[in-house]
Amino acid sequence: MKKNYFFKSTLFLKVVLLSSLFVILVMGGITYMHISNLTNSTKIVVKTYKVNVELERIISYLREAESDYRKYIVEKDVSYLNPYLDAKEKVNNSFLKLNELINENSKQHENLTVLNKLTDSLFFNFSKTNIFVENNETNTKALNLLYFKENAIIDSIRRKTNEMFFLENKLFNNRQEKYESDLQFTPLFFYLVLLITLIIIILAYSKITNDLKNIKVKNDQLLIFKESTNQSEIIGKHGNWVWHIESDIFTYSDNLYRLLGEEPQSFEATLVNFLKFVHPEDVDKLTEDLNKMTHVEELPFINYRIIQKNGSIKYLKAYAKSFYSLNGQKRLLGNTSDITEEIESIIALEERNLELERNNKELSAFNYAASHDLQEPLRKIQTFVSRLEEKEAATFSDAGHQYLERIKFAAGKMRILIDDLLQFSRTNKPDKEFVEADLNALFENAMQDATVIILEKKAKITSDTLPKAKVVAFQIQQLFLNLLVNSLKYSKEETFPIIKVNYSNVKAKETPHLLKAAEGNYHKITFTDNGIGFDQKYAEKIFDLFNRLHNKQDYSGSGIGLSICKKIVENHNGFIFSKGEINVGAVFTVYLPVI
Amino acid sequence: MQPNYIHIILADDDEDDRLFFTDVFEELKINTKVNTFNDGEDLMNYLNKVETIMPNVLFLDLNMPKKSGIECLTEIKGIHKMSEIAIAIYSTSASEEDIEQTFVLGANIYIKKPDSFEKLKKALSEVVSINWQYHTNNLNKDNFLLRL
Amino acid sequence: MNLFFKFDFHIVCKKVLEDKLNALNLDYELLGFGEIELKKKLTPKKYLALNASLNDYGIGIIESQKGILVQKIKDYIKDMVFNEKTNVNVKSSVYLSEKLGHSYSYLSSLFTEVTYSSIKNFIIIQKIEYAKQLILNTELNLTEIAFKLNYSSVAHLSTQFKNTTGITPTAFQRIIFKRREISQQKIN
Repeated sequence: MKKNYFFKSTLFLKVVLLSSLFVILVMGGITYMHISNLTNSTKIVVKTYKVNVELERIISYLREAESDYRKYIVEKDVSYLNPYLDAKEKVNNSFLKLNELINENSKQHENLTVLNKLTDSLFFNFSKTNIFVENNETNTKALNLLYFKENAIIDSIRRKTNEMFFLENKLFNNRQEKYESDLQFTPLFFYLVLLITLIIIILAYSKITNDLKNIKVKNDQLLIFKESTNQSEIIGKHGNWVWHIESDIFTYSDNLYRLLGEEPQSFEATLVNFLKFVHPEDVDKLTEDLNKMTHVEELPFINYRIIQKNGSIKYLKAYAKSFYSLNGQKRLLGNTSDITEEIESIIALEERNLELERNNKELSAFNYAASHDLQEPLRKIQTFVSRLEEKEAATFSDAGHQYLERIKFAAGKMRILIDDLLQFSRTNKPDKEFVEADLNALFENAMQDATVIILEKKAKITSDTLPKAKVVAFQIQQLFLNLLVNSLKYSKEETFPIIKVNYSNVKAKETPHLLKAAEGNYHKITFTDNGIGFDQKYAEKIFDLFNRLHNKQDYSGSGIGLSICKKIVENHNGFIFSKGEINVGAVFTVYLPVI
Repeated sequence: MQPNYIHIILADDDEDDRLFFTDVFEELKINTKVNTFNDGEDLMNYLNKVETIMPNVLFLDLNMPKKSGIECLTEIKGIHKMSEIAIAIYSTSASEEDIEQTFVLGANIYIKKPDSFEKLKKALSEVVSINWQYHTNNLNKDNFLLRL
Repeated sequence: MNLFFKFDFHIVCKKVLEDKLNALNLDYELLGFGEIELKKKLTPKKYLALNASLNDYGIGIIESQKGILVQKIKDYIKDMVFNEKTNVNVKSSVYLSEKLGHSYSYLSSLFTEVTYSSIKNFIIIQKIEYAKQLILNTELNLTEIAFKLNYSSVAHLSTQFKNTTGITPTAFQRIIFKRREISQQKIN
């Protein structure tokens, strides 16, 4: 867009310049013609004047000659003949001058020729008369005739000169008129030329100042942009470079030098100089990548390391985009950033993660070992107790029997606790294998595991058809078992437990429970029982480890079963919720994502 | 002629467990011969002797010093003359996956050590009688899996 | 490469018996399950030779009358379980007492005395054994297998399978297939 505008602007300027040059030239030409016309008319006026003077002279010469000649005739003094002879020469001179002055005008020329003949005939007449005078025949008829003829010729000369005067005056008047009109338009022309030139200059000036202003603004913006780029390069730890591929010339921004740990523009920007900083292990890879850059259009990020002169290693990431200059030269515009801090923080994070994982592993290993190793002595206590009961009970006192019972009971409690703890630590173990499993089969297995307590409580358990799902099979079976056992354990004494298992496939968006969950579908499995229920305010607490809502005498249990459920569901990225109503029952809802 | 008793071996580092074990077979009315070993290495040394007659059932504790039950199991499964021994894993407890893993490795029986003598007696008698069935009825031992 | 076989134990045993008896040049007649009639009395030397050669195949000569009867019970049970023609809805107790001409209670106590386990238990073991074979070597699913073995439901079969072996049918199948995979990897 800007480029186009720029183009238009220069073109416009050129057109304006050319047209104004043209206009000025035309105006100049016209003015020149006009002035030369004016000069011409002045010349012509002068000429007319000269012609008139010359004609006057001829007349006067002729008159002088005539009068002198008369005097000669009368006084017969030869000295009077001299002016006459001079007059003849002078008249001839004037004729030559006139001929020169009026050679352009044919009419005047004709008149002049006639006049010339007339003067010739006059002088011929004079010479004839002269003969008479020399012969002293002055009062002869012939002389009178000649005299008469002479008068007639002079008259015609006078008429002719008058005619010529008149003509010349007429010409003069014409010329005068033209000259005057020319003179009248001349200032206007000058004024017009001046005006147009002024307008053009003003236009050009305003255009130039406008452009200059624009350029100044643009320059200012560029300056700000450049400064902010510099700033952002320093703050953002990145630098720019341009690679003119055809001429193999590089330009580096100041900060690129800083990234290398060098003063800005402290060395020549070449590939060889740059590669000196690159980590020896990365040089080959970088060179290869740079080669790719020169001919591949879509360029990926390049990661490499550099070693600064002070020995510190930095991680750099470069991205380049090729573009073509206006004259078609290919260039790579690159941006290189220092990602050392990111890399270092990632490494630190990874280390912390590893440490956490290690801690977690240690903790669960400890938990496992503790609960596992506790089993052994406990089992022996229980076995020895059973032996004691079987073999030696007969010799015990009543108190002894009671103590034995107490030991058995306590050991049994401990057994449950340890088993559940072990179970819990197992659910905590990572690296579980998710496999496609039929949840119906897992539920069936859980039912089988709970057979004893189901039969004992005469429970009625119904279940919808469950789907297949990608799960950790052992864990889901454990989940089902724990939920069943939980419902059976907290059943009402006077009624047979009824447990209903329902299934539906729900969308996370449409389920109030799953508003915080990721989008998608979930398997919703609910366990509804008619047991003793619980106060809804404990709905979340019951999933906490070792949390029991009932005292130990009334209900056996470790307070771990539901925590295991929660753990298992969380392992599957699912959710578990409980809803209770005292003496009515409890509902446990499990959501497992559909994978 | 087949010997008219069942030859049973137990490898377990725990003295009490060995005691319970031998007590059970003393009380059971089955004609058995029971040998016990304190660790996996002792057991393997014995089994690898040329003159040793292979037992009918071998009970292996998983956690044993020197050589664990799993190590013994894999070793035995690679030795041809021992291929006929029914192998019972006799352990305190393990996760479902670990149990399945021992079966996959070739164990035939998995017994979780029970917490009373009566249960132990019942379990061991069941193992011996079912194993006897397999032994006497030409059942496919490859398919013999039992978990108690 | 692994090959998997199905056996008919009757035929295998019959064939082995015939081979061994023929090898010793004995004149005999096969009477049925595990019973032969010899035309001439055996010399002690030949008896020992026969017993030794049969022991290699896990076959032993039953010496006591009780043992013979127990073996007959076992054979009839196997026939009942494995042979679909006889596998009708007849109660096993009735079937056995009819076939062997003794009361079921007598057979039962005799069987327990000799084998340390009950007839009922033996039947279950045989059925589960047959189920194992079907699970591993056929394409039949559990429902079909339950039907074939006269179980009232899949759940019944599963429960009995679990009670007898301690593991579920699916786990059983998984374990054996994993074992085969491993042995195949070893060969490769």
